[in-house]
Amino acid sequence: MRLQGIKRFHYARDVEEALSLLSAYAGRGALLAGGLDLARSPRSDLEGLIDITGLGLSYVREEGGGLRIGATTTLTELLESPAARRYLNGFLPEVLHRVAALPLRNQATLGGAVVSAHPWADIPTVLVALGAEARWTDESGEHKAPVEELWRKPFRKIFRQAVLTEIYLPPWDGGFAFERLTRSAYDVALLNCACGLGIEEGKIAWAQVALGATPHRGRRLAWLEEALVGKSPDEVLWAWVRDEVRGKAEVRTDRRASGDWRRAVAGTLVARTLAQAAEKAVTGDG
Amino acid sequence: MGNETTVMKIYFELNGETRYEEMESGESLLSLLRRLGMKSVKSGCDTGDCGVCTVLVNGRAVRSCTTFAAQVRGKQVTTVEGLGDVDDPHPLQEAFVEAGAVQCGFCTPGMILVAYELLQRNDAPTPEGVRAWLSGNLCRCTGYVKIVDAVLLAARWKREGRWR
Repeated sequence: MRLQGIKRFHYARDVEEALSLLSAYAGRGALLAGGLDLARSPRSDLEGLIDITGLGLSYVREEGGGLRIGATTTLTELLESPAARRYLNGFLPEVLHRVAALPLRNQATLGGAVVSAHPWADIPTVLVALGAEARWTDESGEHKAPVEELWRKPFRKIFRQAVLTEIYLPPWDGGFAFERLTRSAYDVALLNCACGLGIEEGKIAWAQVALGATPHRGRRLAWLEEALVGKSPDEVLWAWVRDEVRGKAEVRTDRRASGDWRRAVAGTLVARTLAQAAEKAVTGDG
Repeated sequence: MGNETTVMKIYFELNGETRYEEMESGESLLSLLRRLGMKSVKSGCDTGDCGVCTVLVNGRAVRSCTTFAAQVRGKQVTTVEGLGDVDDPHPLQEAFVEAGAVQCGFCTPGMILVAYELLQRNDAPTPEGVRAWLSGNLCRCTGYVKIVDAVLLAARWKREGRWR
């Protein structure tokens, strides 16, 4: 790999310098922390690379039961962090151990996963289910938005003139689970699902359900979340979920799997993930 | 931004030796290391998927094909050449020979470096743990059984104090 046309590699010392460099390159500069996506999907229009690993954005901090994660935190740093292990009883490490291979987790950053937000990726689906909020800075100031809302905007264009600084995960009183269907453990998901459930007095009090790699990026199934509230989390409900999702899931064909196959398995995947989340919510295991 | 040169120089440590090397701004670490004679670092998929270009940066296994050379400024880079050689092999290299884990050898340096990071963190891994840890490094010859055996053998040697 060699990016042609790169005139300078910069090491930004603070957010202001990174923004100033982005502005000077007028769209022909790119930020990098892990650098994986730039290396794997080279842009021919680039003239400048701006390393932001010196900005002090590698951290995992607890705040009111939630987590503030610096954008340049690698997936390995996140899954090894004591704060992440405490959040939802270790849900994040459980997920991240299944995302990519170790050397890629050593390079890839959570911020990179948000800025790239590949439709087939697992992390966007998990962040959507968790109600994650992205925080970024551009020349007009600081901004924040739920990731699901951010990804409905032209977010790649936004981050050509902005620095993603932090991802915030809110506190939840319940259980979360994640499942993915792949040809092998190391392959890109053919379909993935992240679910959270809160259970009070034997009934579902709230639900977060995200289905991704459909092949669209992870999206919440609002109709299902609403329908689950007040129901008993049992086999009867999961059978209903299987049928409803199979009928309503918005899936289509891509080079990895057919829409028919995705439709046939989506209901089972969502029901299975919900059942796991319910078990964790009841046992207080995440 | 003008027509600045595409060449830059950085300090970093390569196998324990401080280096001050010239590189293109968009050059990969894989390309730089091979130019510097580190031929254990192989070029495979060039997308980070196969693992034959794996090196250690500050003790962490990374893909050198998807790392820009300029990213290792001020960091410690380790290749298999830094672990040992034919005359003085590292115990982990000896374990690969002892277990018969090497066939064509193309994947072996990457396997050894990923295993090295594992054993630095955990010298009593389970066979399942070794398989999971190595799962991103592909081998087209061995079927992986002997590679897992080699890492478990090296782990035993490390627990017995046969390590450096």
